[in-house]
Amino acid sequence: MIIAPAHTPSSSARRRLAIVSRVVAALGGGWVFAWGFVMLALALGRRAGLSYADAQTLAWLLVFPVYATAVCGSFAASSGARVWAVLVGGGLAMTGAGWWLMRVGA
Amino acid sequence: MFPNFRLSMTWLHTWFGLVLGYVLIVVFFFGTLSVFDREFDRWAIPQTRFAPQPIPSFDAMLRPIFDHMAPEPADLEALRRRSGGTLPKLTPVEWTAYTTHRDPVLSLYTEYAVGNDADKPDEEIYAHATIDPRDGRQLAGDPLKIGSEFFYPMHIGLHLTWMGVGYWIVGLSALAMLCALVSGVVIHRRLFREFFTLRPRKHVQRSTLDLHNLTGVAALPFHFFFALTGLTIFAGIYFPVSETMLKPQAQAALVAQAAERGLPAKAAGVTAPLASVDAMVAEAQRRWAARGMPGDVGMVEVQHVGDRNSVVAVYRAGSDRVALLGQAIHFEGTTGRVLHEEPPATVVTGINDFLTGLHLQQFDHWLLRWFYVVGGLAGCACIVTGFLFFVEKRKRQHAKVGLGGARWADAFAVATVTGMLGATLAMLVANRLLPDELVGRNEWEQRVFWGAWLVALLHAAWRSAPIRLGKASPAWHEQCVGVAVLALAAVLLDAVTTGDHLLKTLAQPYWPVAGVDLALLVVAACAASVAVKHRRRKRAARLALRHA
Repeated sequence: MIIAPAHTPSSSARRRLAIVSRVVAALGGGWVFAWGFVMLALALGRRAGLSYADAQTLAWLLVFPVYATAVCGSFAASSGARVWAVLVGGGLAMTGAGWWLMRVGA
Repeated sequence: MFPNFRLSMTWLHTWFGLVLGYVLIVVFFFGTLSVFDREFDRWAIPQTRFAPQPIPSFDAMLRPIFDHMAPEPADLEALRRRSGGTLPKLTPVEWTAYTTHRDPVLSLYTEYAVGNDADKPDEEIYAHATIDPRDGRQLAGDPLKIGSEFFYPMHIGLHLTWMGVGYWIVGLSALAMLCALVSGVVIHRRLFREFFTLRPRKHVQRSTLDLHNLTGVAALPFHFFFALTGLTIFAGIYFPVSETMLKPQAQAALVAQAAERGLPAKAAGVTAPLASVDAMVAEAQRRWAARGMPGDVGMVEVQHVGDRNSVVAVYRAGSDRVALLGQAIHFEGTTGRVLHEEPPATVVTGINDFLTGLHLQQFDHWLLRWFYVVGGLAGCACIVTGFLFFVEKRKRQHAKVGLGGARWADAFAVATVTGMLGATLAMLVANRLLPDELVGRNEWEQRVFWGAWLVALLHAAWRSAPIRLGKASPAWHEQCVGVAVLALAAVLLDAVTTGDHLLKTLAQPYWPVAGVDLALLVVAACAASVAVKHRRRKRAARLALRHA
């Protein structure tokens, strides 16, 4: 924990809020991102000729390192807003892309 | 938010490590015990202390048992309430018999379709029985398999079954473990040097950190592997795409796969008798032998029970390889004709089977089994020293400014370390003390565990007041005394109540019970030595104070 000099009450409240937002973004936003990754990886695996079961297994084997990286990256990033945008936006975009590929490909 | 990358990783490591560390240590500890779950089962159920058995005759022994199985009354009652007061019709749809090379007893499961299956495809109910395969008799009195039915579910879901919330909490802590490993490596830039650094005689804070680094880094691949594969094994719970967004595609893929294998995807709705399953097992063994493989059967499964489309799948036990059960041969239930012989796994499935099998270790390799215990205990030590370092680093500073944080961190650490150990031992003691004829003995053993754990938490909270003054909590060594007494009591009680004392079990040798007893003695000795050392140090400090 960083001990910054001379915290005013309002700046420490703001910092606490920023931390809570970052934790929720990392875990919740990270989960949305990871869900999108599973959808897209599964769809791409199908497109590459894998069976449904194999495409799903491959997505599951890869998703947790991705999720953990997203969580670590959430704390390393300087802007909280960007963390939210990348994780939720990226997650939704990948979910949409995966869903679309599976519909068209099915 | 953080001035640099390293400080952001330090924050992540400290706070995720502390908060989820309390869950993680439970998962690590009970995972370690689950390595020997079957052996704890033998210790806890003396009537099952005999050699592992092969799967008995299906036609002569198992079939009649399956025909008379029924779900637990409590499950039926819950189903009745869910269905609005009347119990719907239950039709058995799947029978399963499962064993491993360490199981003297055989587990049988029946899955039932509820009412008109098409209406409620998601509703399911099960029946379960454990039998002695030598005579087909069910175990009397529904005894609790402490290893496989209490320690193991604790490891994977903390016994929090409501909405599967336990799996999510365990998953979250496994994710935190992955992040803690990554951030831990970032924090400790001089990783290689720290690996060879242990200064046990230095200041407590320094030596705890050394031990934290040593146990974390030495077993880094082990920790990483178990956290990651623990998550992938349950990926279907955390990312259920095939039950939600891609359900139609997933169902279509299952139907296509069944058609490709020549297996019926659905029941025909026409009743038909089942041919001899023993003949199918013999045919499966003949085919495995032709491929040069041992023929121990691990699982027999009957799908679409009683239907014209019934299928019998015979799986080879996973004793001789890392992957679990496999090389299944599927038979047409009504004729015994072979429908499908599973081909070698694809690359992706092969990798996944290997990783899953390496985590669940149902294979026959006792040395590796012990390595798992060592790795698991290293993980526990790493988490405990993390707690201690957190408290040591802060308690003086907190004492100065009057904060209670370090005190509570320490109290929870006591409860999840010595308290959890004490609760586990109390459960073993209760297992030997509660009368056999006690109604609900199974549940009482579990209540003793939770009750003892609660007592340990209250004791830790009450005794941790000195932390607020920057001193050490006496709760640690007081609970160590309790742990030593309980561990010793468990060994003695087992000897008295069953007659299987160490001289006898070592002479035979009967390792499941001898091993648990020896491990309990080691626990007792370690806990006692900690308590004695602590008392000696306290006396020395008091003497020094008097002479000053």
